[in-house]
Amino acid sequence: MKNENSNGFGKKLKTFLASNSVPIMFILICAVCIPISGFSISYLLNEIVTRMGRNIFLILALLIPIMAGMGLNFGMTLGAMAAEIALIFVADLQIWGIPGVILAMIFSIPISIVLGIVCGKILNRSKGREMITSYIISYFINGIYQLVVLYMMGPIIPIKHSSIKLPRGYGIRNTVSLLNMRRCLDNVFAVTVGGVKIPVLTFILIGLLCLFIIWFRKTKLGQDMRAVGQDMEVARDAGIDVEKTRVISIVMSTVLAGFGMVIYLQNMGNIATYSSHSQIGMFCIAALLVGGASVEKASIGNVFLGVILFHTMFIVAPSAGAKITGDSMIGEYFRVFVSYAVITVALVMYETKKRREKGKLGAQLQEDQEAEEKKAKEAKA
Amino acid sequence: MKKKVNVRSLCFKIGFILILLIISAVMLVIGRGHTIYLDNKKAEINGTQYDAYRKITVYVNGEKLAKLSAKDRGMAENMGQTFSMTLEYEKEKGDEAKTEEFTLKLPYNLDGIVVNLPALLEGVPQEDCMSEFVSLLAADDTEEEEEIVTDEFALGDF
Repeated sequence: MKNENSNGFGKKLKTFLASNSVPIMFILICAVCIPISGFSISYLLNEIVTRMGRNIFLILALLIPIMAGMGLNFGMTLGAMAAEIALIFVADLQIWGIPGVILAMIFSIPISIVLGIVCGKILNRSKGREMITSYIISYFINGIYQLVVLYMMGPIIPIKHSSIKLPRGYGIRNTVSLLNMRRCLDNVFAVTVGGVKIPVLTFILIGLLCLFIIWFRKTKLGQDMRAVGQDMEVARDAGIDVEKTRVISIVMSTVLAGFGMVIYLQNMGNIATYSSHSQIGMFCIAALLVGGASVEKASIGNVFLGVILFHTMFIVAPSAGAKITGDSMIGEYFRVFVSYAVITVALVMYETKKRREKGKLGAQLQEDQEAEEKKAKEAKA
Repeated sequence: MKKKVNVRSLCFKIGFILILLIISAVMLVIGRGHTIYLDNKKAEINGTQYDAYRKITVYVNGEKLAKLSAKDRGMAENMGQTFSMTLEYEKEKGDEAKTEEFTLKLPYNLDGIVVNLPALLEGVPQEDCMSEFVSLLAADDTEEEEEIVTDEFALGDF
């Protein structure tokens, strides 16, 4: 009896470790690197809280496509580009502070919706390969973005301020200053607890989005998305417009990513016009996976845990690397290597699991068939 | 067969767009930023010359913004279409300091606005005291680009 119990516990522990291997690995990395880095706890907490404020909204935007069975939406970069275009307009109109942030969010909505519809329609034609398709779409749209920002802004799309335009008279500079809206959201109702500044309004916005996601899961559309995510054919038989539902999930994700990018950039205080968006999808996805999410399942808890672990690693790795090897670049290499590695591992694990399940299903079918044949033979005999 | 239009859904969509448009319009007005340059300089407005005051102290929201001697310029940043300030001034040496409050209506289309304080204190209409600020240093190639702040995700340049 005792042996059975200990066996059960061992099995449970094994399952727990297997399903949470990525977060556990990151907890261990952070536990080793934090003391070596030599950063004070208050500095670390300050950095993590700041990074939570600016990144969580973006990462939450990834949850809806996962719910609809479309995997990790690398196309969230499209929303980020929409937000950048909106912020360029707002900076040119000289709208400052929170009104500037709200206006940028509103301006980003139509651009995000159009890009989301384009992305969703393409993804509907590549079912089963959504992630790689959305990844390539982000490169394709990046080309169009550069065409618009580098050549059309100025001569075709009016841009008034020379501080935004390139000296040649058209195109946008490498950096657009958002100094007049820098941390305007983060500073409202901000409280300092033990030397750690907490951006209360930003966290309220994040909280509202979390509540929206929880509520949305229970709505008709949310249930439809879950049904589509579980089995498209069954969902279609149940009368759900699968294609439309999938497009809506991508549009919602793109719009939310646009809002998230506005929050992210108001915290930064400037836009790196040609590079701000390029890595954002990759690192949001890495953070989500670090939090224990998978391609087919992710929760709000995964988002929070992922941001904390991933960014703690990002903060401490260069310093720890410098202390261990004498070269901070080792730490930089390490954190970038780990980010890409975690995505690769997650994708490999997902594919392996899918194949194993397919194999199990095939074996089950074969067994059933053999049993039926045996029965038929016996009946004949 | 014609597709049936859901009137209720259409109304919601139009209403939502209208709300967004209204919010945008409000944000465009209340969030418009202006840089205000406050001059205590000699000026000629509508054919009349106004000399600089000996000393003008500018208060905005109860806080001292600038103490301007003759020929000085102060600067304030303002969000919205009105700018309120309190001026404490001495016209000439030995004069008793007086205080006056002003609320300026700022022109929407101007980013930088120069306000001539002596003319304003002499009772010249607000619109005549304000002029567009034109920077002599136009943004050109030589202007340094702002340092890019990021999460340092990439490895950067080697």
